[in-house]
Amino acid sequence: MDFFFSLRTSLWLLGIILVLFFAGAVIMPAHEEFQTIHSIPMFEWLMQQKPAVTWWLWGLIGFLAVLTLNTLFCSVESIVKKRKVTQWLLLISPQIIHIGFLFMLLAHLLSATGGSQEFAAAQEGTTLQITDNTVLRVKDIYINLDYYGYVTDWKVNVEYLSGGKAFKTDTIAPNGPSVQMGFNINVKDMQVYPQEAVLLQISREPGAFWALAGGVLFMFGIITLIALKIKMEK
Amino acid sequence: MTILALSFASYLFALYKRQFLYPGLLLQVAYIISRGIELQRLPLVGPHDTLVFLSASIAAFSIPFASLLKNRKLFFNIVTVTTAIFTVFVMISKKHNAPLPPVLKTFWFECHVVLAFMSYALFGVAAILGYLYLREKENSLEGLQYRAALIGYCLFTLSMIFGGIWAYLAWGTYWMWTPKELWTSILWMFYSFYLHARLRQWWMGKPMAYLGIAGFLITMFTYLGVSLLMKSSHSF
Repeated sequence: MDFFFSLRTSLWLLGIILVLFFAGAVIMPAHEEFQTIHSIPMFEWLMQQKPAVTWWLWGLIGFLAVLTLNTLFCSVESIVKKRKVTQWLLLISPQIIHIGFLFMLLAHLLSATGGSQEFAAAQEGTTLQITDNTVLRVKDIYINLDYYGYVTDWKVNVEYLSGGKAFKTDTIAPNGPSVQMGFNINVKDMQVYPQEAVLLQISREPGAFWALAGGVLFMFGIITLIALKIKMEK
Repeated sequence: MTILALSFASYLFALYKRQFLYPGLLLQVAYIISRGIELQRLPLVGPHDTLVFLSASIAAFSIPFASLLKNRKLFFNIVTVTTAIFTVFVMISKKHNAPLPPVLKTFWFECHVVLAFMSYALFGVAAILGYLYLREKENSLEGLQYRAALIGYCLFTLSMIFGGIWAYLAWGTYWMWTPKELWTSILWMFYSFYLHARLRQWWMGKPMAYLGIAGFLITMFTYLGVSLLMKSSHSF
């Protein structure tokens, strides 16, 4: 049990995870299989691939799971051991950072089990089936070009139909996706000639909320920790 | 280009008299502002503009750390040589003058890039302090290296969070498995390792100094190596 409570274990785990990441950074660009990693939930994708190219990813998942336990145990132990200290913010801020980190891992786990991406080319009037009952219709596409032909702005007006009737209209813009029933609809690419058309990306990212929550906690924890350290030194 | 040449000359003069670092830095700041006015946007796209921002950031962050050092001469010499080398690369790299794609015109992108380069600069300052520790064996240098790396890590984490939010809004996902994201994770994990290692006595001193130097090498590969050699949304 001491194994999970040890900082030495954390360092070993971080070291092994780093080595696996390095291996991934070499393997990934060399294998085309990784081009489709986003098309279906990652765990499903992993089952379909040869272990010869995905072993490092399996390893990462395994060691990150152990690191999760190690982080949890170390955080609880730290709070229990130091609970009587007067500067409780100094005690709690590293643990908030750890919780933020764990939320980010949870986000990746959720996205790896339920995340997906699909693409569809669309022109004005194109309809796409989003769910059993919902259809998306592209109403208008506006693409503004400057004198040199660079795209300066664009927007795509869409409407959602159920049973043939429109129940919601929305606009997809740069950094402004249309969100419907857990799906994000973005424009991945576009063409102006011979006819205005867009490549729509319909994605589901179940971990997004947890990633944001983890990010906010991590930010809060680390800024608090640095501010306290500076204050203590003064 | 004249402003850059003057800043380069000023950095070289700083080897003789360290006060020349300040005009060198001011000239680079003036150049960044002039580029911003010329382009009507934050000038932080492509190697030319990002390198000058990195060079100016290293010079700027070195000033508060220098004020805490006993032997400032060697520290300033390494800083000025580093910034001068980056300035040469700025002068020979191509400017990205095209208008930004609409997806890059957002607060999230601007924060993401500014914070990333500030953190890279702090990792650079940390590496210089690590080198000085190895030469002079003074414990306070290793402590300062830790501070620079800790603040750099904080800014780098914020940059990753802002980048994730931006990617989610722009492309519907906060994680795209690009080589840059993988290397960014390596860099983040590396500095996580660094910060945790310092809590153990065994790692104090020399090993930490070496880790701080290695961290900046990974930083440079993540910034320049991945952007120049690999295909990704972060490619130059």
